[in-house]
Amino acid sequence: MTASAQPGKQLSDNQLVIIGRRIWKALSVPLVSVLLALLIGAIILLISGAKPLEAYAALVKGAFGNAASFARTLEKATPLILGGLAVAFAFKAGLFNIGGQGQLLIGAIIAAYIGFAFEGLPMIIHLPLALLGGSLAGAAYAAIAGALKAYTGAHEVITTIMLNYIAINITDYLSNGPWKAEGIIARTPLVLETAVIPRIGGYPLGFGLACLMAVLTYYLLYYTTMGYAIRTTGLNAHAAQYAGIKVARIIVLTMAFSGFLAGMGGSIETLGVIGRFQPGFNIGLGFDGITIALLAKTNPLGVIPAAILVGAMQAGASQMQFDAGVRFQIIDIIQALILFFVSADLIVRKILGSSAVDEDKVTLSSGWGGG
Amino acid sequence: MRKSSLLLTLFLLLAVLLAACSGTTASPTATSAPVATTAPEQAAEEPTAPPAAASDDCSSPDVLCVGLITDVGEIDDKSFNQSAWDGVKRAEAELGAKIDYIETQDAKDYATNIGLFANNGYEIIVTVGFAMGDATLEAAAQYPDIHFIGVDQFQGFETANFTGILFPEDKAGFLAGALAAMLTESGTVAAVLGTDLVPPVVAFKEGYENGARYINPDINLISTYHPGGLDVAFTDPEWGASTARQAVDQGADVVFGAGGKTGNGALIEVAGVSGAYCIGVDTDQWETVPEAHACLVSSAVKLITDAVFDMIKAANEGTAPEGNYFGDGGLAPFHDFDGTVVTAEMQARLQEIDAGLKDGSISTGYNP
Repeated sequence: MTASAQPGKQLSDNQLVIIGRRIWKALSVPLVSVLLALLIGAIILLISGAKPLEAYAALVKGAFGNAASFARTLEKATPLILGGLAVAFAFKAGLFNIGGQGQLLIGAIIAAYIGFAFEGLPMIIHLPLALLGGSLAGAAYAAIAGALKAYTGAHEVITTIMLNYIAINITDYLSNGPWKAEGIIARTPLVLETAVIPRIGGYPLGFGLACLMAVLTYYLLYYTTMGYAIRTTGLNAHAAQYAGIKVARIIVLTMAFSGFLAGMGGSIETLGVIGRFQPGFNIGLGFDGITIALLAKTNPLGVIPAAILVGAMQAGASQMQFDAGVRFQIIDIIQALILFFVSADLIVRKILGSSAVDEDKVTLSSGWGGG
Repeated sequence: MRKSSLLLTLFLLLAVLLAACSGTTASPTATSAPVATTAPEQAAEEPTAPPAAASDDCSSPDVLCVGLITDVGEIDDKSFNQSAWDGVKRAEAELGAKIDYIETQDAKDYATNIGLFANNGYEIIVTVGFAMGDATLEAAAQYPDIHFIGVDQFQGFETANFTGILFPEDKAGFLAGALAAMLTESGTVAAVLGTDLVPPVVAFKEGYENGARYINPDINLISTYHPGGLDVAFTDPEWGASTARQAVDQGADVVFGAGGKTGNGALIEVAGVSGAYCIGVDTDQWETVPEAHACLVSSAVKLITDAVFDMIKAANEGTAPEGNYFGDGGLAPFHDFDGTVVTAEMQARLQEIDAGLKDGSISTGYNP
């Protein structure tokens, strides 16, 4: 497939110049894409009879207007960061993890179970246990797809999609069966006080945790031998094998860590936002991770601003409906447009006047190639 | 060539910017008028102007403001949310209320969306769907001066400013099942359902099966729940259609479609089968799914619109019940099949059953 050199792979002597150019290269396309998407969104708003500036002002107000709305933006960004990291990380090994949603659901329900069923533990043990339990469940679930890929060659795109459906049905069964709370509604009991992720000054602690995971993922990828092996596998699995890297093991481990991140996203939703597992409350989070990863050009640190952007749009959508009478579907359209311009970055590059051929380009198809 | 495309793009961008700017210069004139004309598309949907357009400041006690928050779903879903919104629109027409709605995109936004109305002087807030029960209850405690109406929200205890509206889905389903059992010639009837994660769907199903057995204890029942999660269970007409087709292939000649757009898919599929009948759900689907006219003998309805309007009216007069209010439900008119397929004897029998269900001599057998 396309020989795409990863950013920051090996730094040469004139690092600063290169880093500066890379930062601009990394940021220019997403930034211009967002602007273009907002402009086209404005046209659509005009055509539908709304006032674009009023709508966007309401969007900003709803996302950043006061401390509570800003906290909500961060809260919404949290699972997006982790979901985005999950996709971006797997992508570095040449794996396209579409199973973020399933891994997130498994993580969310296991965290809920540990949260409500393990009584009598102090918070300092109970909360980390629930968080870690959920994350590890996500890891184990993703490792299934990794093992299928590594040892049987079954493509991870297919297996993770299938595992998503299985996860939906497992969680529906558990929350409507053995783990169902009293009452007619299908959902687990509330998690105990000792397993609730606290807020610090009104801000969700989970967000900080997600950012920490982003830094950790970045470090793992670019400053460890394991990370080097993962990226080499992603570039050319055959060459990696020849160089003595145990590719099968790398694939399973990469999927497991990817699932760990997604599972942690689900656990934080359960323990920090919803307070229990209830079907229908985690819809689409794992799939948004794909959007985030693409927007961040699979850079683990870029995932944070990308997630805040999308989180802000989602958090502000209600205010926009209320103030400007714009239905929330416009947000989906703008999001899709951003994604469109990031993927079809030739358009953006022409506008910027930069070279159309770019090394840093995220090539979606490389995940389909092989290995 | 490259230059020209660049120029073209720049030109386009300029055009867009100009368009955006002209849009904003126009806005002051529009905003100086009362903020009532909130949703432009809403205005397009409903050409009738609000009666009390002159004074629509919700903070004023003279103005009745009613807000509705949808379940995760759309206001024009042709069933659940739309029926509730129709009730709110009646409050606009008959009580001169200022009305608005917010569509929920993410179940975690329920509280936020309620807060938008609550903090802007709305007196009555309608929340639609069982999933919003907790958020509505919390809001009722937080805003004691606002009356909350929760559709499909069972109340375990009474709260002064909260009325939960419930419907006898099991009775409507029971009547639909009885009708199906009377109509079938093959002795096999089917139900294509949304997910069992939603309690009213289970009530419809249990009622339907028991109603069919009430007429014919040996009847063959094929009931299928959608296997997907809440995000797809009600929006999957393809699955509804193929499941209905399977049921027909297994000999069913009456199909009950109960599950939003999924059920609608089943109805439309059965409409293409000669000699087979279908029964709709929630609203009179003769009005909402005209493609199913060929088979739609009736619908198992819950009168959401009436109940929502009645409760808004009562809340405005300060007489809304605390705790639960039971709305009405039953069978919709038989339309083209009245007297021909659904004979007078059948209708008399259904009325007997209806009376029996009302006085308690017949049980639907649904016991959650």
